[in-house]
Amino acid sequence: MVNIEEHMTKARDLGLENDRVPVEYYTSAAYFRREQDMIFRRAWLMVGRVEDVAEPGDFIVRDVPPLKASVIIARGKDGKVRAFHNTCSHRGVALVCQDRGNALTFRCPYHAWIYRIDGSLSAIPAEQDFPHVDKAANGLAPIHLDTWAGFIFLNFADEPEATLPEFLAGLDTMLDGAPFDQFPFSIQVSDEIDCNWKNLVNAFNEGYHVAVLHNKTLRAAVVPKDNPHLHYLDIKQFGPHSAGTVPRNFDYDPQAPALTWVYAQMLPTSAPDVAAINEGRAGFYEHPGINRLKIPNFGTETITIFPNISIQPLANGYLFYQFWPMSEGRMRTDVRIYSRHAPRTLREEFAMASTLAATRDVVVEDMAMSRLQQIGFESGGKKYQQFGQNEPLLRMFTRDYEAYLAGGGMPRQPDKAEAAE
Amino acid sequence: MTEALTLPAGFEDLGQFAAVWGKLETQEQRYLQRQHGTMAELKAFYDATAPRLNAIFDHLDKFPMEALPPPEALLYRTALGLTEVAMAVEVFGQPCVPYAPFPHKMAIEWSELSPPLAPAGA
Repeated sequence: MVNIEEHMTKARDLGLENDRVPVEYYTSAAYFRREQDMIFRRAWLMVGRVEDVAEPGDFIVRDVPPLKASVIIARGKDGKVRAFHNTCSHRGVALVCQDRGNALTFRCPYHAWIYRIDGSLSAIPAEQDFPHVDKAANGLAPIHLDTWAGFIFLNFADEPEATLPEFLAGLDTMLDGAPFDQFPFSIQVSDEIDCNWKNLVNAFNEGYHVAVLHNKTLRAAVVPKDNPHLHYLDIKQFGPHSAGTVPRNFDYDPQAPALTWVYAQMLPTSAPDVAAINEGRAGFYEHPGINRLKIPNFGTETITIFPNISIQPLANGYLFYQFWPMSEGRMRTDVRIYSRHAPRTLREEFAMASTLAATRDVVVEDMAMSRLQQIGFESGGKKYQQFGQNEPLLRMFTRDYEAYLAGGGMPRQPDKAEAAE
Repeated sequence: MTEALTLPAGFEDLGQFAAVWGKLETQEQRYLQRQHGTMAELKAFYDATAPRLNAIFDHLDKFPMEALPPPEALLYRTALGLTEVAMAVEVFGQPCVPYAPFPHKMAIEWSELSPPLAPAGA
């Protein structure tokens, strides 16, 4: 029997002494500009899944709000996935205007310069008037791209300071082979909120608030009697990334009629599929890097990928959250619920719509509180916010945030001279 | 949406709710409708539909999901209102999520893996 108390990792266990943090980090335009340059132009940023561009010619367009970047991600005829800035080499137009599609070429709607799916410049109308333009050197501007576990990451540095595996710092090894690809169907919910993006990062990095803020939505399902403040268990650090085990109540038995009916049609993403667990086919539950303690009432492993991702693997899929700063006081939250398949019946579709509404409302609670937090910060009565011993991941995030702003944070690379020796 | 508001036989009594919820095409619209409803309105809809989910879906099961006849499509859209109203009635005891801005819009997008499904999605 696991002694839960022993595994409630405290900040002191991790040597994290930064028990208060300047409010300025959350309210100052100067800090936001440093975040743009020192974090979002240096870290690897997750922007999608390989399933989003499954076939040659498939493309998606994504924006990266803190950098005001519009990005085309496309799978070439050679099967390789590439990323480009969505800007024409001629006069700069963001030439791809669809969110997604399948194409052999991209044609700028302004003067019809044409690019191949691999980004190379294929044709310039009236080419004789552009004798100074070398087509071979004027393709779409590429962005560094790599993938891990089917997730597409971009790096906006001219030369990344670290490879993606170096950046992931062992988190990738722990989760090697985790079955994200078994859950290709997603529903995305997005919202823009008047708050600093780190308010939401922090909300997903502690369970202390769950019994209070989520009293009506999550408490009965996830807060166990032996862990009333929902302390994350077995916290693991990988560079600036982390993972912590979160329990839930397996005996949770909703009595509300509509909710009960929904459970009978199709289990929500978050509900443990006891039959599947017993038969060893419960996806993430079987993975050795998840629930290392083997707690019997395992709920999820909250996985944080610096700077702005939270992933929660569950029995019937996983939840994905991304927090994008737009300014120091405004941000966008993207939530995706990943499932095994698209709804196959109206009953399943109804159940998935219900799960969507329920999941969204929990996130709305977090976003509502993050907005109130920002109002309080900006009122200016407090210079610091406090992080408890039971909020180690907030201290950890802040430590690594400060390291990035100071020019560090990334795994140190041997410089070229050392490497040559 | 130019369909007449006609529900399948046996569900005519849901007409007043179909006039509100059956017009809505997306989850975004249903979320907003829930926020603008009074608790009395939401409870009346809930009481009329939640106990009949089995009857509603037993009827809808007789039709191909991607080609519901207009009366069944109206019934289904009406029932989908319950995905939002149940949160207000069973969970919060109020139309809105506490402390959230009002009205609160959220963009929702179902992924385009086949089969594309219009009624609950985009």
